[in-house]
Formats: sequence, C-alpha cells, structure tokens
Amino acid sequence: MKFQVIIIGGGLAGLTAGLSLQKKGVSCAIISSGENALHFSSGSFSGDCPEEVVPLFAEAGVVLKGNPAKDSWRFTPSGSMQKVRLAFEDVTLYEEDKIKASKVLIANPEGFIDFPTAFIADGLSQQGVSCKVKSFSLPCLKTLRESPSEMRSVGIAKKLDCRINEVAGAIHKLLDGEDLVVLPQVFGLTSPEPVRALRDAVPAEISFIGTMPPSVPGIRVQMQLKKAFEKAGGTFLMGDTAVSAEISDGTVRFIRTRNLDSHILTADNYILASGTFFSKGLSSTMQKIYEPLFGLDVDCPTERTQWYSEDVFAPQPYMAAGVVTDADLHPLKDGQPVTNLFAAGSILAGEKNAGMALTSTFKVVKKIAL
Amino acid sequence: MPKSYKDNEFDVIVIGGGITGAGTARDCAMRGLKVLLIERHDIATGASGRNHGLLHSGARYAVTDRESASECIEENMILRRIASHCVDETDGFFITLPEDDLEYQAKFVESCTAAGIRAEIIDPEEARRLEPSVNPDLIGAVRVPDGSVDPFRLCAANMLDAKLHGAKVLVHTEVTEIIKEGDTVLGVRTVDHVSGGAQEWYAPVTVNAGGIWGHGIAEMAGVQVGMFPAKGALLIFAHRVNNIVINRCRKPANADILVPGDTVCIIGTTSTRVPYEECDNMKVTPEEVDLLLTEGAKLAPSLATTRILRAYAGVRPLVSADNDPTGRNISRGIVCLDHEERDGLKGFVTITGGKLMTYRLMAEKAADVVCRKLGLERACQTAVTPLPGSELGGFRETVKKLWTMPTTYQKATTSRAGASARNIEKGVGLVCECEEVSSGEVDYAIRNLDVHSLTDLRRRTRVGMGTCQGELCACRAAGMLAAAHGCAERARDDMREFMNERWKGNRPIAWGDTLRECEFTNWIYNHVLGL
Repeated sequence: MKFQVIIIGGGLAGLTAGLSLQKKGVSCAIISSGENALHFSSGSFSGDCPEEVVPLFAEAGVVLKGNPAKDSWRFTPSGSMQKVRLAFEDVTLYEEDKIKASKVLIANPEGFIDFPTAFIADGLSQQGVSCKVKSFSLPCLKTLRESPSEMRSVGIAKKLDCRINEVAGAIHKLLDGEDLVVLPQVFGLTSPEPVRALRDAVPAEISFIGTMPPSVPGIRVQMQLKKAFEKAGGTFLMGDTAVSAEISDGTVRFIRTRNLDSHILTADNYILASGTFFSKGLSSTMQKIYEPLFGLDVDCPTERTQWYSEDVFAPQPYMAAGVVTDADLHPLKDGQPVTNLFAAGSILAGEKNAGMALTSTFKVVKKIAL
Repeated sequence: MPKSYKDNEFDVIVIGGGITGAGTARDCAMRGLKVLLIERHDIATGASGRNHGLLHSGARYAVTDRESASECIEENMILRRIASHCVDETDGFFITLPEDDLEYQAKFVESCTAAGIRAEIIDPEEARRLEPSVNPDLIGAVRVPDGSVDPFRLCAANMLDAKLHGAKVLVHTEVTEIIKEGDTVLGVRTVDHVSGGAQEWYAPVTVNAGGIWGHGIAEMAGVQVGMFPAKGALLIFAHRVNNIVINRCRKPANADILVPGDTVCIIGTTSTRVPYEECDNMKVTPEEVDLLLTEGAKLAPSLATTRILRAYAGVRPLVSADNDPTGRNISRGIVCLDHEERDGLKGFVTITGGKLMTYRLMAEKAADVVCRKLGLERACQTAVTPLPGSELGGFRETVKKLWTMPTTYQKATTSRAGASARNIEKGVGLVCECEEVSSGEVDYAIRNLDVHSLTDLRRRTRVGMGTCQGELCACRAAGMLAAAHGCAERARDDMREFMNERWKGNRPIAWGDTLRECEFTNWIYNHVLGL
C-alpha cells in the first residue's frame, strides 16, 4: 500500500499532522495502536501553541478556548491554579490565578471517588471563596454503583449524557445562590452537546474539572479529530502497530505493521509521532533508552542511575529523553539525518508539553506540504 | 483488691510497634496486664515489614543452627493455627542445581529430621510438575513445610487483639526520654508526631522492643546493647510466578529464597553490614538489583522476563549473643535481657534478635520476664488463642462461612481481613483495582486500625501495593482520608509523601514496563491533578 505520508502515532501530534495535511490534499495514513496521552488529558494545553491549531480544530468541531500566545489559568482537581494556553470548552479559564466566583457549589455524583472534592473545596477556601460540597444521584447511577469497578468517568458519562435535563434538575435543587458550579468531567463523551446543554440549563457558570483517568473530554476530542481526518479522506489504521522498518541510504524504504504483516507500507514521507514510553514511542531496558521502530539516535543520560530525580515531583531526566533531529526535524540515525522521515510531538528530546507537540507538528506539515 | 491506675499509669510500657512489640503487647494484655504500646511511626515500619514474608519451616537453619531451626518449626505450626488468615500454606522446595553439591542434600535432610522438620526428597521431574516455574535444570529437590505469611496483617492482628484486651496503642508517637530515678526506670516521655504534644507515661516495667532501633532506646536508658545492623535488599515481582517457596539446597547465601505472597513473589536477600546511622534510610543499589536478578533467575528462570514492581531493603537486628560488644559471636537467636540482672537497671527489659517467625516466642519470653518482675504468675495463652480474623479458620473456610455467593472483592477482602471481613460494610466503589480494595474496607481500616496516613492504610489493606503502585488509588484514598480526618491540606501533603515513598521503591528498578507506568503516574499527578 502506498500513501503520500504515513504517520506513526494517533495522538495529538499524529492526528493534527494528518488532519492538516489531508486538508492540504496530501493523502495520509495514520497508524494508531490505541490509547495515547489524549485519553489522559487534563483538558488543556500548556506551552507556546501555534495559532493554526485553533481554526484547524474548530473545523473538526473542537472548540479551543484561550489565547495560544498568552497564559491563562485553570483550576485543577488538586485545588491549585495552573498556567495553560488553550483548553477544551469544558474547562473554565481565568485571566489571573484566581477563581472568579463569590459562592461555589461542588456537585459530585454520589459514590464517585475519582473526583477529589475535598482538595477542590480546600483550594477554593484558600482563595477565600466560600463553597459547599454536595452529591447528587439519579436512578440510572444505581446500577453503576452496584458494580464497584464501573463507577468511573466514562461509565458515568455514558449514563448521564442522555439525561442532561435530569442532571440539570438535580443540580438546580442543590443550588443555593451559588454563581459557580464545579462538576467533574463526566459529560460529553461523544459530542460536546451535553456540556453545552447543561450550561444552558443551569442558572450559574459551570466549570468542568478533570477526574482520575480516563479523560472524558480527551477521548471525545480524539474521536472528533479522528472522524474529521477520515472525513477529509485520510486512512486511520486503528489498533495497528508499526513493528519494523527498512532504512537504507538515509531513506525509509517501507514499514510493516502487525495487522498487515503480508503487506509493506510505503510513502514519500513518514512522520514519527509515536510519543514516549506510555505509547511505546520509546522503550527501555536495564541498560538503555531506545527508539524501537527505526533505531534512531536518542538523547538521554547513558547511566540508568541518571534517568531519575529523587523527588517524584521534580523534573525527571527520563521524561526528557527522545530522538535527536536536524534543523528540519529529520531524526538522526547513527548521526546522519533520515531524509524522508520527520519527528513530531513528544518523541522529540527535550521538555514536553502540548504546545511543543503542536509547534513541531505544524513545522513538519509545512516542510511536507509547501 | 484491684489496683487503681491514673490515666498515664500502666503495668508495662512496650516500645516498638513492630511484630515483636505488637506480640509482646498482646501477650501481656492477654495475661491481664494494663499495657501501653508506643510506636514512633506506624506498625511494621522497620524490619517487620521489610522481609520476605516467609513462614520459615526452619529448614534453612537446620544444618547451621539447630536451635533456631527447632524454634522455627514449632512457631510455624503455631502460626498456622492462630494466624490462619495471615498464612498461606504453600510448602517449600530446597532445590539442588548442577553447580551445587548434591551431597549436601543428605546432610540437609538428616539435620531437618533431627530438628523435627518434615523433609521429603522428591524426584526432579515431580518437582517440575508441582512447581512449573522452578529451574528445569535442577538435579535434586527436598520438600519442607515452608509457607508465606503477611507480616503487616500479622502485626495489625496482634495490635488489634492487644487493644481488644485493653491495651492502649499510640502510633506516630516517639519516646524522647526514659524517665529514671536512680537505678530504676519509671516510664517514658513521648512526643506525638501528629499533634506535637509531649506526654509522660509511667509503669513499673518498660520493654524495649525497638528492633535495630532498640540500640538507641537502650542508650537512652543508659545501657548498651551491641547491635549489628545488617541490610537485606529484596525485589518484588508483579506476578506470582511460583506457588511453592523455592530455596537453594546449600549453605545459606545471597538471593536464594523466592517466596510467593498474595499477588506477587519476592526474591531476596542480600546481606551487608551498614552503619547504625543509616538504618532510617535504606536505599537499594544497582549492584544489589543485579545480584538479586541474576541469582533469582537461577531459582525460577522466568524471573528474568517478569516485570519488577519494587525494590526495598530492611535491617536485621542482629545482636552479639554473649554481651560481647565487639560482636564476635553474632546470633540470629532470641535475646531477652533483664537489665536489672545484667546492668543493675531496674524496670527495663530488652527483647531483640530473633526473626519474624519467632516473634510469638520472643513475646512470650519478654512477657514471662515482665510478669516475674511484677511478681505475677500468669500463663501465656498466645500459642493457642487465634488472632482476630483467624477465628473461623483459613481463607477458604472463612469465605464459606461468611457468604454463599461472595463477589471477587469480598473474597479479596477476606483474604486480607479474615473473619473480620464480616464487619466490613459493602463499599460503593473500588479504591484500588489492582488489589481489589473496596471503599468499605478502606473505611473500616480508617475507623478501626489506627490509620493516620496513606502509608498506614497501605500496610493494612494493600492499597497502592499492586501493579500501578498507587497511580490511581492514592488520590481516591487520599480523598477518603481528607474526609475522615477533616483536613484536606494534611491529606494532600500525605499524598505527595506517599507517591514519593512509592517512587523510592520504583526508582532502582524503573525500566521497561515499570518505567512506562512511572511516566503515566507522573502525568496524572503532575498534569491532570496539577500537584
């Protein structure tokens, strides 16, 4: 099978590259092994973001709030304020590191323990904002509660998305003059409509705050981008994994995937957007950190003891590991650039955030589709 | 006429909430004494919680230390009866590999038999059939009554029973001074690490059961106990590779025991002398990890490709047996010192040395001395009375007696709490999916088992001990602790500390899938939660 561009990785970088190229008339295939960082998204992007992302996502139905070049603040589930650039529409952004509200209701589905209401309430009271934590229940959640492993974000969203009026009614009953309602991100799994409908139905501002994984808005956005990519004519190889590649004379000749093992896949250009350890863009053994598909040059400390910081909350050197490229984002193999291969997203060595992933992606897109 | 006590007066003060202290408190309380137990951290924080969890048959010591071997097999049989919910009756193999001397086997079996340990030579082929994970190259195998024991559960059950018999238990409370008058110990001064409050406690007898830290406690009392800290490093694997304990049939050496426990298995140990000052902060070195992996794969080759969960190290409280401070004659045997006889210091007893396996016997010896000093004749009952949780027998009998159709998490709860599972309310959610810990079980532990932090909770419920190492459950449990203790700030600091404690054990072995999991955890706590 032959494509103009083959993209390895269906996360934020891979989907953005695919969608953008496809819109420019470049035929692409995305090889996606499944879960990626979007499924565990905080619902927001930090770091310098390219302007192009806002209109591109909007065409796919993904509304991004905020300013790509200027910091805003989001309220986190641990009760702190965090600097971000852009956010999905579920999230409320603030211009300063302070919540704009005088009285807040934190409403949680009864029995949902993946939403740390105590930390959120504490964060609000530290800002001097008065708040109350209350739980609400709907009959449809009862069956979920009976099975102890199903009271999770996605399970709740599946039940509540089609009962927004009932949810609005339940929240209405809890309201006592609050001007802000904090809810967990358990709405809008397949479309942003439930999020919008709830905002319309409740007479107070609503801020949807992240839960323990998986991320409902993250899954939604991933699906929206994938659909838009396919609608634009792209080929999405779902649940497949690139397992081997042939490189000769500094050029990728073909790759093979697990599901299409009798075929070779070829393209004019290849984009490696396979992410880091979680998505297996990088692997490690006792001895080394390496890039498993092409065997590219990786920048990371050689001694294993140097991969880590003692404090788990400090920057970890292993998390900055990644492939090394030339100025045109061609990765190096044995010190030489691979001329029809580009690297984008968190597979690149250095500090990682969504802004950096998107910036490198648009840079690669421009190199390919001049 | 019953004696009247003030609030801070007791018959005996026990210092140390490890297994020895907990056992001593239980024994004394069952003999009708008014007991105070003081622990500066939490139960089983030291060596009691940092070992293999091996229910020794005594076979390991049969050739080199007959007395220890006999003690082990006797206590082994007692623990099967009184602590059935903490014990897994797996049996053990002592295997001979081609590089070992098969002649040692005959001597080994002879010594076991002499010590009263059932030791049965089995055919290598039969050994491979019974334990498929064993090194297939083995040339000999002996089957002995080894097993596994959960030291946290055992310690918690002893502590709970002490309380049920009227003992007062203070965790996170540190002894800052031994109160003396002339040549007599009158009690202790403590500081409460949660509230910061200082207090004084009095009793005619104080027992030093501080394990390796007993060295410092004795010093505080003005006497010397010659301790020789020996660090032992171990690795936990993410799967229960073996169902039968695997040992090497040779003179005891490094990394030659593989013990299955709950959902995991554990290889260990190394043995290195360490300075006393380092006992509070043991770190596992890359060399120790290499050694454990290389030697472990000789027992069960699949360990070479099994994901490692954690590395950890404990400190054995070895003592010079003959009061010789140079430590020429170090014993693993039990050392019970009446400091009145030894040093002329009245009202002070040290119980140390020994092993997890012989904790009950150590406690009995200490309680005998306490009673003698108090002029009381009271018989020890701990060898025959089941611990709370073991009243209905082992796991299978208990499950059968409690439920007709147990859910998987009710079974998991019963495997940890034994018969006490009947007191645990059905929770609405699973806090820890890896270990199937329900919110009901977490709630029960917070209310009944002296839980002040996530680490305390982990020791009692296995929250955070599974494959994900606290990735998902730490935040859930922290939320429940925040609600129970009414302080979000404390719970959030606690969560940070807990994640760092988990990371300390991950760091030495973070590569492959473990590193993937660590990255994922980092995303959740740093980015999603915004800590």
